[in-house]
Amino acid sequence: MQANPSNLVYPASNASGIKRRIREFALIGRDPVLFIGLLLSGIFIFIFVVFPLYRSMIGGFISKEGAFDLTYFGRYFDAYYGPALRRAFTDTMLMGLLTATAGTIVGFIFAYAVVRCQIPGKKIVHWLALVPTVSPPFALALSMILLFGRSGLITHELLGIEFVKGMNDIYGLDGLVIVQTITFFSVSYLMLKAMLERLNPAMEEAAASLGAGRFYLFRTITLPLLIPGIAGSFLLLFVESLADLGNPLFIAGNKTVLSAQIYLAVIGEYNYQKASALSLVLIIPTLVIFLIQRYYVNRRTYISVTGKPAGSQIREKDPIIRWVVNIITYQIIAFIILLYATIIYGSFSSAWGVDFTPTLKHWSMTLTRGVEAILDTTFLSVLATPVAALLGMVIAWLVVRKKFTGKDALDFASNLGGAVPGTILGIGFVMAFNKPPLALAIVIYALLALFYAQVIGKRGYERIIILVVGTAIGVTLTKLEPRTMYFTLGGIYLAIAVVLMISQRKFAKPLAIAIIGIYVMSTNWATMLTKPIAAFSRSIERGFWSNATVQFADHIKVILQPTPALLAIVLAFAGVVLLQGLSGKALRVGIGVLGLAVPCALSFVDVPFAMVGGAYIIMAAFIVRSLPASVRSGVAALQQIDPSIEEASNILGADAQYTFRKVTIPLILPALLAGLIFSFTRHMTSLSAIIFLVSAKWRIVTASILSEWEQGGVSIAAAYSTVIIVFVLVAIFVLNLLVNRMFKGRGSVDMSQGF
Amino acid sequence: MYLTLENITKVFPPRGGVSEVTAVQNVNLEIKKGELVTLLGPSGCGKTTTLRMIAGFEFPTTGKIILDGEEINSLPPHKRDMSMVFQSYAIFPHLNISENIAYGLNVKRLPKSEIEKKVNRVLELVHLEGYGHRAPTQLSGGQQQRVALARALVMEPKVLLMDEPLSNLDAKLREEMRTEIRRIQKELNITSVYVTHDQIEAMTLSDRIVVMNEGVIEQIGTPVEMYRYPKSRFVANFIGRANFVSAVVQKQHDRNLTVKALGEVITLKNIKGEFVADSQVTLIIRPEMTRIKKSGELFKGTIRRAVFLGDVIEYDVEILGQTITGIETDPHVMDLFPEGEQVTVGFAEGCIQALPVE
Repeated sequence: MQANPSNLVYPASNASGIKRRIREFALIGRDPVLFIGLLLSGIFIFIFVVFPLYRSMIGGFISKEGAFDLTYFGRYFDAYYGPALRRAFTDTMLMGLLTATAGTIVGFIFAYAVVRCQIPGKKIVHWLALVPTVSPPFALALSMILLFGRSGLITHELLGIEFVKGMNDIYGLDGLVIVQTITFFSVSYLMLKAMLERLNPAMEEAAASLGAGRFYLFRTITLPLLIPGIAGSFLLLFVESLADLGNPLFIAGNKTVLSAQIYLAVIGEYNYQKASALSLVLIIPTLVIFLIQRYYVNRRTYISVTGKPAGSQIREKDPIIRWVVNIITYQIIAFIILLYATIIYGSFSSAWGVDFTPTLKHWSMTLTRGVEAILDTTFLSVLATPVAALLGMVIAWLVVRKKFTGKDALDFASNLGGAVPGTILGIGFVMAFNKPPLALAIVIYALLALFYAQVIGKRGYERIIILVVGTAIGVTLTKLEPRTMYFTLGGIYLAIAVVLMISQRKFAKPLAIAIIGIYVMSTNWATMLTKPIAAFSRSIERGFWSNATVQFADHIKVILQPTPALLAIVLAFAGVVLLQGLSGKALRVGIGVLGLAVPCALSFVDVPFAMVGGAYIIMAAFIVRSLPASVRSGVAALQQIDPSIEEASNILGADAQYTFRKVTIPLILPALLAGLIFSFTRHMTSLSAIIFLVSAKWRIVTASILSEWEQGGVSIAAAYSTVIIVFVLVAIFVLNLLVNRMFKGRGSVDMSQGF
Repeated sequence: MYLTLENITKVFPPRGGVSEVTAVQNVNLEIKKGELVTLLGPSGCGKTTTLRMIAGFEFPTTGKIILDGEEINSLPPHKRDMSMVFQSYAIFPHLNISENIAYGLNVKRLPKSEIEKKVNRVLELVHLEGYGHRAPTQLSGGQQQRVALARALVMEPKVLLMDEPLSNLDAKLREEMRTEIRRIQKELNITSVYVTHDQIEAMTLSDRIVVMNEGVIEQIGTPVEMYRYPKSRFVANFIGRANFVSAVVQKQHDRNLTVKALGEVITLKNIKGEFVADSQVTLIIRPEMTRIKKSGELFKGTIRRAVFLGDVIEYDVEILGQTITGIETDPHVMDLFPEGEQVTVGFAEGCIQALPVE
């Protein structure tokens, strides 16, 4: 029984707030795993969420020359640009409102059908309702156009409508809202389904026994209890709709919405100031709603969604209502199936609108020219996936289990990256990491070095020596020619490994250090290793395999040549883990100095954090976007585990690290796997956040779909979309199989946490 | 002393709209080796916080925790050589019974054969031989409780901590496990701290009981001392039941105290404490210290309530406007006094204690 001390309020003790903070940090310091977790997630979120968002927010106020400038905000109020800009703003809001309303209604109908109307084929309906969440962002817009466009299958072929100027076609706000409704209603469906399932039947039965008629009951009991869910879903859909870039680009016609305006400002005019200014206009409503959702709606929820579903469900008894609901659901399902079938068939038809005969020529184009994008996307998505999922679990663990100052900030910021419109994040990434300020590298390095010295050194002067000498050596090393530098850095690790092996007579840790050393050196060998592969690719006939081989060579390079500043962060933590607790003052200080010199050199080599155009910035964007989903699935899993299970492990002699490995991770493994899949799905389908980050070398399928579409390659766009959908569905299928096989009876995966 | 708490205070900083809370205040406690000490009190009295500070899950704001001569204030739980039985048992659901029990031994990296030997021995001790390969979900509540206990015992901890370990069991099983825990604790002579809010549990298990209330210790003593000589109304009321009767001291002679209470003068024997004449005191009269007769006793009263409980008959008697609860334990008494009956009441003067008025 946990003591409930709330009724024992004594006058404040004499320790001041600041003193207490310091004490608290001293306590955290005793728990290195907590500290590493905190620092690692904190640094990641600072570099890749807070800093870029900050850049994109203030970017609108700063002109090319670096002066304070309000031009682009002023334009909203002048007579020349004003009307169009204001119309774009009101159109955007209108789109959001319509999509949110329609999506919530459709979501509610689906939830009602599945939970209360015993709709036949419940499982299939459920899974089909979720398909839109895992398809690329504009897949549905594409197939809407294929079906109902000016030369669409239904409008033109079947109904024989000839479009003339001025006639209402699928392009514009109406088409956009329909597409967005279908794309986003799943979110609403999942939220409302969870709520309906957890609504205690006893409440409605109580109302009925008190004489309430069915409509009176619905109006006074069911609906009020669901209001938080409905409000939550409405707000979420509103934000999703505003953030959507893919669909407006495809189907908005002559209407402009903010996200598309931002995109055009960057791609069309290369004007980042304008894009930033527009971003700020877009982010304000988004953030307001995010905050309302988080701090108002969630606190007014009567039904806890984390709990178990109520044992029994009320069933809709009125057959008319039941069948009306079911038939509407079936119709929408049929429409969804039709849309996806169209995409798939679209990729096979010779020339959509003119010649519908099937052909494989688009697929052969997709698989030769497009193989680069497909492989790059898959590779980067896969590589980023474990990082995102693990980081998500660590943050979830910190948030649920640990008490520390700044916990709310961590929770908030980890959600922020996924909540803001992706275009804004993308702009922020470009602005932040094109010519990043040296201050960023210095701040990050200082944090790492302080932490490192604190752990490695035992006394004050030892720490100071490690800090000062280590940094000095590190900075000197950056003056070396890169090739020599990497060899030296790797050599340092090898030397440390040898010394430790001899002096400490231990094997495992020095081996790990030696491997790191070789890895650091291998940066120099990457080209040597990949050259023969590239040469081999040229020797085979041009086509799928030769392109694929070239990509393979590139991917090896990515693995061997990470961004130095990021590698530095990882190495600093590796140093903390592997070098702590050395005995012998001289050894401790000597090795401590060398162990710091390497991350220091890597932190400041070239222009630190200049990542635009590379692979790592795309992966970082992927992770930022998928983090909230994996954090949520981790939080949900952890909240169901009794905290004393971890305490039991702790008091049996296991430290936090052992406990996390042997108890926490096995228990949240289903959630971790779910986090992996959510992340992978998000990565494969993300567009808005990475559209500005793709380069000639690193192509992403979603961006390729867009450019194919712009060039009129409808069928190739459809083929790309099919590829993504298939990849994602296969991944989800495999997860389900795994979870059902491995964890039968032990914690099922709640898919709804991922969206 | 083996385990000492010196002036322990725990203040929880304000967080999330809850203002600062002092959960434990100036707790001093000394525990001998091999002793079982119970922390007893209502919920929110700070007993669990105290236990968690001993375990290392919370750190005291001020004060010292000393184990075997060493200050362990800043030692994290896994370095304290203690083990704990949790209210929820906290059995690792992904490990079987043997693996659960062996968990701490594996952390210590003991050789496999030794681990096996120890696990088997402790399974025998808690009467769970042959259950090693079962999954936790296949065990009943009582068996899970035994596993939790075995997992703590196998570590041969310096101190065994138990946080309301029996509160999730039904009454009959609880009684059985109570005796069982005491047997094992004595057999292994293991220093233990036991948290509970159940006074019977505390009475049956403990060498000494610590009663806590609102974050401070009310009284420490053996079960007998706690029952016979409570130092406050809170303790008297929490351990056993008591009537509180105000009285005025007439005179004290050694351990004999003459007081005027309920309109009559009585002399109490075996009084602990010194009282001056004319001072106000509160008498602690437990129900079993009453004699309720038709006639012949000193005090006159009226029966207000009579309940037949099987082993005893319980009466509420009104004497001069105050209700005194008394019991009749004599099995020869066949008939209850009806409500409204005039009776006489006598007290066991040798047992009643007096408290100065607070």
